[in-house]
Amino acid sequence: MLLSILIRLQNLTWFSNFRSSAYVYPVVLALHLTAISWFGAMILATDLRLLGWALPDTSAAEVIRRLRTGKRIGFVIAAACGFVLFAAKAEEYYYNPFFRTKMLLFAFVAIHALVFRKGVYAAPAGLAGGPDPPRRVKLAAALSLLFWVGILCAGRAIGYVAGRAGMHYR
Amino acid sequence: MLIENPLSTSPSAYPVLECFHIAGFALAIGMIALVDFRLLGFGFLEQSPAQIERAFRWWTLGGLITAVFSGLLIFSTDPDMYYLNRSFLLKMTLLVIAITFNYTIHRQSPSGKLSKTSTRLIAGASLLLWASVIFGGIFIAVVAPGLG
Repeated sequence: MLLSILIRLQNLTWFSNFRSSAYVYPVVLALHLTAISWFGAMILATDLRLLGWALPDTSAAEVIRRLRTGKRIGFVIAAACGFVLFAAKAEEYYYNPFFRTKMLLFAFVAIHALVFRKGVYAAPAGLAGGPDPPRRVKLAAALSLLFWVGILCAGRAIGYVAGRAGMHYR
Repeated sequence: MLIENPLSTSPSAYPVLECFHIAGFALAIGMIALVDFRLLGFGFLEQSPAQIERAFRWWTLGGLITAVFSGLLIFSTDPDMYYLNRSFLLKMTLLVIAITFNYTIHRQSPSGKLSKTSTRLIAGASLLLWASVIFGGIFIAVVAPGLG
């Protein structure tokens, strides 16, 4: 079921053309990485502040608030480029263990957001404290770093899995 | 071959190095971009650009060092391919310009002594310059096997 949808997706004219283009594919890949750099740093800056390792004079709530929009824009750009890269070879990605790892880590990020939203990210009062934040705040930041670095490495590893035979490319 | 490069004999060395390379440049380029976005009027508006530059200065340098050294190791796995690769040569040229720009002109801009227009031009140039280094890196694989 899922697989047949993916095969149909990758054979849409637009994605078929994209798959066989010599130059558009690397341009989208480079945009994906540029977005990751620019907006990954916003995630990192937030986490560093939550850990108490950077911007000690600025409240964590302020850091979270100021970077929220930028992070959302960045995530949408990186995810849009990522989706195009995926869609062009959707069937192959479906089998790729590192792609599956990456998607699993995204699920962890979503769970992380649900778990810590109330106690950390949407609770400016609890964050106003000095340079040494409470433990649950540090835990949230450390897990966030772990998941995002994992996503970065899994993403890179996707390209190292040998191509599969018998893919239904048209 | 007289001495085999251990990085070329291990199948996992190259991908692991690439992870360090990507994490390093994402850190450096992203931290520089935080200053650029502030110079353009986005992000941490309650801090001055100079404060942001100071806050992330060492993270930027750490990322840059990680990226350069992992890059040198990646280069060592196939030096003549890289040496002959047009995109690699372009990337190195852009990288030297970007680093020089970052530690000279760009470093002055957060001080607030420049006009609004020149500050914005510097921020825009910085964002474009570093993005072009990433593009140069991606296109190494596209233009391979180089000139030879």
